[in-house]
Amino acid sequence: MFKTGARFLVGAAVLATIAAIVYGVAQSGSLGTTGLVFAACALAGLATVNIWTRDADVSAMDEAARTRSPAATAPPGPSIWPVVAGVGGVLLVVGLVTYPVVFIFGLIALLATTAEWMVQAWSERASADAGFNAGVRTRLAHPLEFPVLAAIGFGIIVYSFSRIMLFLSKTGGVAAFALIALLVLVAGFVIAFRPSLRNGAIAGVAVIAAVGLIAGGAVAALEGERELLPHETTGELAALGECDTTDETEADENASQSVAAKSNLAGSVILRADGTLVADNADVAGSDKVFVVTKSNATNVRFINDSDEERRLVLDLGTTPALEENGEPIEGTAVPFQYCTALVADGGQQFLTFSIPTASVFAEQPYRFVVPGVAGAEVEVAVS
Amino acid sequence: MTVAGTLAGVLPSGRRQPILRSSRPALALGGVILLVAGCAEDAPQDTWQPAGPNAQKIHNLQWPVFAIAGVVMLIVMAAIGWAIFKYRDRGQPLPKQTHGRPTLEIALTILPALILIGVAVPTVGTLFALAETDDTECYINVTGQQWWWEVDYPAQDGCGGIAEPIVSSGQMVIPIGTKVLVRGTSRDVIHSWWIPALNGKRDMVPGRLQTVRLEADEPGIYAGQCTEFCGLSHANMRMEVVALSPEDFATWKERQLAPYEAPAADTLAAEGEATFLGQCARCHQVNGILDADGVPFISQPELYVYSEAAPNLTHLMSRNTFAGASWDLLIPACRSEVWGAPPEEFGALYLQGITPECLNQVDLREWLRNAPAKKPMYADPTELAATDDKTRGMPYLALSEEQIDQVIAYLMERQ
Amino acid sequence: MAIIERPVPATVAGPVAPTVTPSSSLGVFRRPVTSSGWTSWVFTVDHKKIGIMYGVSAMVFFLVGGIEALLIRAQLAAADGTVLTADVYNQMFTMHATSMVFLFAMPMAAAFGNYFLPLQLGARDVAFPRINAFGFWSFLFGAIFINTSWILGGAADGGWFMYAPNSGVPFSPTNGIDMWAVGLVITGIASQTGAINLIVTALNMRTRGMSLMRMPVFTWMILVVQFLLLFAIPVITVALTLLIFQRQFGATFFSVDAGADPLLWQHLFWIFGHPEVYILVLPSFGIISEVLPVFSRKPLFGYPFVVFSGAAIGFVGWGVWAHHMFASGLGPVSVAVFSVSTMVIAVPTGVKIINWTLTMWGGKLVFSTAMLFAIGLVVQFTIGGLSGVTHSVAPSDTQQTDTYYIVAHFHYVLFGGAVLSFFAGFYYWWPKVFGKCLSERLGKWNFWLMIVGMNMTFGPMHITGLQGQPRRMYIWTEERAGEGFFNIAFWNRISSIGAFILAVGILLFLINVVYTHRRAPIAPLDPWDARTLEWMTTSPPKEHNFDSLPTVHALDEFFHRKYEDVGQGDEHDLRQVATAEEILAEQEANADHHIHLPSPSYWPIVLAFSLPIIGYGIVFERVIAIVGAVILVLAMFGWALEPSVADDSDYDPPEPEPGTGLATVGSTA
Repeated sequence: MFKTGARFLVGAAVLATIAAIVYGVAQSGSLGTTGLVFAACALAGLATVNIWTRDADVSAMDEAARTRSPAATAPPGPSIWPVVAGVGGVLLVVGLVTYPVVFIFGLIALLATTAEWMVQAWSERASADAGFNAGVRTRLAHPLEFPVLAAIGFGIIVYSFSRIMLFLSKTGGVAAFALIALLVLVAGFVIAFRPSLRNGAIAGVAVIAAVGLIAGGAVAALEGERELLPHETTGELAALGECDTTDETEADENASQSVAAKSNLAGSVILRADGTLVADNADVAGSDKVFVVTKSNATNVRFINDSDEERRLVLDLGTTPALEENGEPIEGTAVPFQYCTALVADGGQQFLTFSIPTASVFAEQPYRFVVPGVAGAEVEVAVS
Repeated sequence: MTVAGTLAGVLPSGRRQPILRSSRPALALGGVILLVAGCAEDAPQDTWQPAGPNAQKIHNLQWPVFAIAGVVMLIVMAAIGWAIFKYRDRGQPLPKQTHGRPTLEIALTILPALILIGVAVPTVGTLFALAETDDTECYINVTGQQWWWEVDYPAQDGCGGIAEPIVSSGQMVIPIGTKVLVRGTSRDVIHSWWIPALNGKRDMVPGRLQTVRLEADEPGIYAGQCTEFCGLSHANMRMEVVALSPEDFATWKERQLAPYEAPAADTLAAEGEATFLGQCARCHQVNGILDADGVPFISQPELYVYSEAAPNLTHLMSRNTFAGASWDLLIPACRSEVWGAPPEEFGALYLQGITPECLNQVDLREWLRNAPAKKPMYADPTELAATDDKTRGMPYLALSEEQIDQVIAYLMERQ
Repeated sequence: MAIIERPVPATVAGPVAPTVTPSSSLGVFRRPVTSSGWTSWVFTVDHKKIGIMYGVSAMVFFLVGGIEALLIRAQLAAADGTVLTADVYNQMFTMHATSMVFLFAMPMAAAFGNYFLPLQLGARDVAFPRINAFGFWSFLFGAIFINTSWILGGAADGGWFMYAPNSGVPFSPTNGIDMWAVGLVITGIASQTGAINLIVTALNMRTRGMSLMRMPVFTWMILVVQFLLLFAIPVITVALTLLIFQRQFGATFFSVDAGADPLLWQHLFWIFGHPEVYILVLPSFGIISEVLPVFSRKPLFGYPFVVFSGAAIGFVGWGVWAHHMFASGLGPVSVAVFSVSTMVIAVPTGVKIINWTLTMWGGKLVFSTAMLFAIGLVVQFTIGGLSGVTHSVAPSDTQQTDTYYIVAHFHYVLFGGAVLSFFAGFYYWWPKVFGKCLSERLGKWNFWLMIVGMNMTFGPMHITGLQGQPRRMYIWTEERAGEGFFNIAFWNRISSIGAFILAVGILLFLINVVYTHRRAPIAPLDPWDARTLEWMTTSPPKEHNFDSLPTVHALDEFFHRKYEDVGQGDEHDLRQVATAEEILAEQEANADHHIHLPSPSYWPIVLAFSLPIIGYGIVFERVIAIVGAVILVLAMFGWALEPSVADDSDYDPPEPEPGTGLATVGSTA
């Protein structure tokens, strides 16, 4: 009556109960005790179920039938799973000392083996009819195998395609995308209008396409991504004497790097070709040298660089005490308090989001927008 | 057992029905009459009493559409009423099983379409007229915050020339006949600025700057309310627009920009100033107030309030409402005098400010005694984990009655 | 899972025992195949039982939402109300709208659709019966999940439209909004799967001779609604997912200081929200288009126009969403476009009103309770629709939006539209579903109290809105109520009194239900002399619906089988040639053999049960979500393994007679 599985579970339940008692008495920690008590109950429950279903062991029901049954005496068939288990174990160990990716592959292999080997072993003992056994195995395993394999397959396709797209230039990417889409469309048409295509032909085309995609993806992944966005960290800016904050973040991390949210602007600040900086408050007729902002509001401003060089916009809010590690201000120190955009190409635009808590009338130094490197490019910021 | 017999067995006889049936259109008609009667009254936020050209444009579009809708409703009710009366079951044989008349249906589809085209054209025209900002004569910034409005006037040439920014809250003062452009945003959630007598509403969205035109024809006080659900005290977030003649407006401006006058020594107000500095000034700015060392005191509400601002009280008693314009600073008698004043007398009455005999001690004292009990706000210090221990609204300050007397005396000088 | 080999018969001789193929039943538990008792409801896949369960659940949540509404009106009945605090009031109106829209109106339409779509199509069940059951249980568990938020720290308090940033954690720190969002994702799964199910059923399982233009209008409207759901539910799911990520995982989709735009939420919500209101009201149009012809004794006027206008509303309804955002600063061009498109959608809606009126015109009107509700709907919906036209004028909408005028509009179209139609449907179809007619006397009291109560509650809201009272105000004061007798104070009091009268009316309906099932006699097969296929069955229909699937020759097939026009030329003379009983007897005489029905299953409810567990895990303790996910995967797995029809060995012998109770399967004679 008590087969292997039942013995294991009952033993584990007993162990958990003892551990719960010991832990509860020794440590008197309620969380651990509760956990162990629940574990004991869960294991006891599982043990009960296991005993009721006889550990899925035919022999437990009927010893005589078992000895007479052809299924019990048929030899097990060939299987790749032991090899995969071995490979998985090796990868696991090797991955511990080399790359985490290898460790993960090993883990996946072992998990797959556990499931597949158990199912194969169980289905082979189900009956003496090999055809029936195979049917039982597929009925059990296919609903899990197919989705998982499909997910892995899709993952590989998506990953390869994405590496190719990230590697090519912008226009190259568009061309490649259009070409691949066209090929898929043509293939679809051919299949639709020639229903009597041989399986082999379709399989051949699919294999060629898959090999091409995966190879292309592998090459692109090894080559690396193209240059996407300028990423400057505030540390680099501090070296230039600008935007010195104590957080090592990316310059202008908050706002979008493109001007996507055109409807959210409080106005624009424009660097003209002649080196003057001009404010354009939204919905206020005529341009100004003053940018009007209300205090403590998240304000979005667009910087338009109409000059011939790469420039950034800096919002200069005076100085602020330097901060310690825990955020406490250090008395007597003063560092520049600035918000900056990243370097914007000539003819380009960028968004800047900021909030100023103190009104201009109470500020020690006036607030202003400046463009480093362009003398006289200055716009006053009036905060009320 | 025929079908007719079955029906007769199940339903009461059709002959007893007519009175009840034909009373349905009468009910509808009664509703229309009530509707008209209801519109005749004088509510402060009535949407059918325009007091400025923008609201007038809307009204000129609105009431004809209502009239058309009313006529259509009467026609439909009449048709249904007639059908109910004429075609009720009086024992006649089964009627002709008509399936429709396409020409009639097409005609009755085209007719409403034509009516709607007639409505659409002036609608689009009015829309674009109301969105015009190029002819603005004065800019006023508005910021909504849970649960009060900040109004600030940037330095500009409009409104007769404003030399320095003016910061106020709850009441926006404008000169009559001036095209004012409200540029508004919010510090926390979405609010909505609505002065029904002057224009439709506009949402005040954080991170965005939205505009709405205001222009008042005559001096007076025009009430409004926040009309986008903004949390606990959404119902207690009101504001008013006060329109003054250009001369009165110039006087108002002068007073708003007048330098700070400290209370005379050894008065209740002087004690009030000290109490104010100790209890209130960390959030509420009074421009020019000096601390004990003679240094101008700068309020820092960003340290205590999640939305980082509190109403500026420099000239509190030049306004006549407080706490998000939810309560009056005037006792009812004085209030009805000011609010109900005819246009030619209104300016002078408003500029009087709050006199000691008109001060509404009851509400103001309740507020100072325990603000969160009077207006629901998030100020319980034990429940502020989600907002970095900062309040949303004014906290309970545990002021004694004596301190309240002092503070009121001090505030009475902030005219 | 023990696989048992049956012992080999001893007659076989020889050294090698033959191979034996064991039973193919692999499950530990047998399938639940009983046809009576509570298990036959919990594990059913029969569309009729599922429809009744949807209806009962929806009714319960109607009462829940109604109590929430009564509390709101009690708070606003007097100045400085003290019935509810501001915080509870905000939760109350949020949950009132959520309960009414998501937990009452949508499932009640699903109830009618589930019950009658297959019957009106001449089918035996829907295309995917177990998914149908899963959909119901998901809805029920999701609805219960949302309502448990009341006792788990407070319900959602941001309004049913849940605008950002007010829906963020700093402004709504309790778990209410999280549970609201997760719960609506769960109920959304129910609607989505139901949509796919009914679309496939309507397109593939119509009986012989039923072309699309011979389907009843109710079926057409349900089909349009399912298409609307199919595309709208993903939008709200996306929006809710963004909200859940914002609140639970610190995303910044709606964080203004990270540069986000709060209007993103509004657009996403209203792209769902506007088709949603057509989802709520089109089934009502369908029900009324069934009831009015029957009680006018003539067919629906202009069937093709009604069908096409329904489809047109479905299409154009996707292009009007920003009329909920006229005041949110979109700019004059966008506002003008949406203003015009909103006017466009008034045209097909008007077509329906005209067609319903012309259906009654020239008819022989019988004023049963169902007919009263139907006529009431036409009147009330006209009022609501016209106030909607006044909103389409965008400049004047900037005066009306967010005031009680809008509240009046949508309650007239939703209460006067959806709710009145549901009651019409109840009184019309009760005898078919339950075998008894609801009392007409109580029904008339029910109707009139509801009409008086409804107009008294929502009529004055037009006035208070135009007088400037905004929505979502937890309190009003005498000082700010305006001068004169008919001020905001007066109309609020009238509204509150009306709400309680309305509640009494609804109570009368419940009393009617109880009274009917105790006292009323069994109803005849066809009490209203109806026109469509669902009346060609027993009352209630047998589990397999039709003994033999009818062949359809015309629209209103049932009516044409009963009546023939023997008039000459232009004259009409309708003679009855058959009664409902005779038609049913003919059907039974030609009963199909081997009627194939899907078997009950417990996987749908198990799978549905895993969803709220995952929900609680997301909101409270992530470990619970893992447990829920495991149950989800295992339940999907078990469901996939299970064949749609139970094995012989799952039944206890002897099998029942064919044609009664559960249908037999395949091999046995």
